[in-house]
Amino acid sequence: MKQIQMTKNLSFSLISTNKIIQMNDVWTSYDSKNFALEGINLSIDRGTNYAIVGQSGSGKSTLLKLMNGMMIPSKGTIKIDYVTPDMNNKKFKKMMHTIGYIPQSLGLVKNISVLENIMIGALPRLTTIQSLFKRFPEHEIQEAKRIVSLVGLSGKEDRKAYMLSGGEKRRVAIARALMQKPTILLADEIVSELDHVTAREIMNLIADAQKRMNLTAIMVHHDMQLALEYANRVAVIKEGHKILEIGVEGDTIVDFQTGDLNTEEIMEMYSDDS
Amino acid sequence: MTPKNNIVIGIIIALVVIASYNVDANPLEFVEGLPNLAIVVEEMLLVEPKYIPTALWAMFETIQMAFIGTVVGTVIALPLSMFAARNLNSKFVYAPVRALLAAIRTFPSILWAILFVIMVGLGTFAGVLAVVMYTIGFIAKLQYEAIETIDSDPMDAVSSIGVSKWQLIRYVVIPESASHLLGQILYMFDYNVRQTSILGLVGAGGIGFYIINYIKFFEYGKAAIFMLVVLVTVLFIDWVSVKIRDKYIVKSQHGMEVTVKKI
Ligand SMILES: Nc1ncnc2c1ncn2[C@@H]1O[C@H](COP(=O)(O)OP(=O)(O)OP(=O)(O)O)[C@@H](O)[C@H]1O
Ligand SMILES: [Mg+2]
Repeated sequence: MKQIQMTKNLSFSLISTNKIIQMNDVWTSYDSKNFALEGINLSIDRGTNYAIVGQSGSGKSTLLKLMNGMMIPSKGTIKIDYVTPDMNNKKFKKMMHTIGYIPQSLGLVKNISVLENIMIGALPRLTTIQSLFKRFPEHEIQEAKRIVSLVGLSGKEDRKAYMLSGGEKRRVAIARALMQKPTILLADEIVSELDHVTAREIMNLIADAQKRMNLTAIMVHHDMQLALEYANRVAVIKEGHKILEIGVEGDTIVDFQTGDLNTEEIMEMYSDDS
Repeated sequence: MTPKNNIVIGIIIALVVIASYNVDANPLEFVEGLPNLAIVVEEMLLVEPKYIPTALWAMFETIQMAFIGTVVGTVIALPLSMFAARNLNSKFVYAPVRALLAAIRTFPSILWAILFVIMVGLGTFAGVLAVVMYTIGFIAKLQYEAIETIDSDPMDAVSSIGVSKWQLIRYVVIPESASHLLGQILYMFDYNVRQTSILGLVGAGGIGFYIINYIKFFEYGKAAIFMLVVLVTVLFIDWVSVKIRDKYIVKSQHGMEVTVKKI
């Protein structure tokens, strides 16, 4: 377990000019009665590997859906690169091309091949004719093949997506997102159901891509341990509130939250949660 | 059985009796008519085998009419179904398209046939047009319903990339609804062969045209041959499409690997 230092110090700069995602007092609800998120404030630097941790039903998936414009807050503001995420906003729709989103359910098209599923990530770069007749340009095919081998799916390109194992399906979803040449990657519990070894294999894969492409990765986890291992920042969500935000640098963990939270207790609570 | 149920059953029986009186449905007449049936059956047994080739040819013509109607109707129905699906369009698009399709379905195919006989004259073309209309109405409905039941996960995931509507249709909607489509087309073809067999009754070509003419001139022996051919053909097509559905579609809908075996 890593050492926890209660300090507000500042090898981690709190104010940066390079914010890619900002949320200000964001509230949102699915129905008119209950709020799924209540007053969330977040600020994420470009290139960060950001983790969101919390128990089931705490609002993690909802937070990601707000970041890719699938949901709109009922109160508060969100900016991605100074643009408000909203599927009906023309400017944001362009940005969606390079926001890789891997939903908790993965969202693969089960009756088409692995390669075609991955090609979906490149669709915004293709013309209507090219995409309708599946006449993919040679350089896109090369790129897809490169990503296929990167995620370890070589030889399975022509399999239908429904014929894959759970781990393989996750690799396809990651490949589809990488095919978008993303600047932001939103991944919702993509390793939660996998065994220890496969989970780390997939996390390493994303970590490599993240460093190489200067990606901003925002990943939802169930498991605090996994978050601490890979992320530079971890936000803990509980019942729609951000109750803790910590920075991780090597073995040092720094609490960013003001107020009198008992960090150690919370950390223990979530590291036991599997 | 509760007294309340008895009252309901009593009312239903009373209604049947009243309605029968109104429409002149007298069971006695049915009994009195039975000897006539015997005469018809007797004459039918005098089948005239030399008409078999003509009957087969007429059946072949009927199947071709049904085939053209099914294919053309489906080709027109598919784009319409894309516009009628609630999960792909705004209300301003799907509501009028659905209303149009509902209007098309209101007419049974025999009424379409009458309409087209008036428009283009007696013959097979009127029959083909009737089958086309009927197929559009039904395939489009079955297909937009299939589209609406597509899993929303891949729809959302692919939409979140910001792809165009056409790309979404090509990469999610068509592949995810295609397994249903094949079954529906088979069913429609099967159905259309039966329908086309009777469209001749109003002069819209096909084997029914022969049957109605023989019956008009009391040539029950000839009519019998033609009816027998219809029966055998319909049973055969039914059997084949059940086989195809079992071997191919049921499996693919359960997400299993499918190999199409010889039927
Ligand atoms: N489509 C929906 N309609 C209504 N309520 C919803 C919907 N999706 C989520 N909720 C509610 O919003 C709250 C937050 O849900 P969310 O999916 O964000 O949780 P989560 O943290 O991702 O949970 P899990 O770890 O189980 O995936 C929950 O109370 C949930 O019941
Ligand atoms: Mg979730």
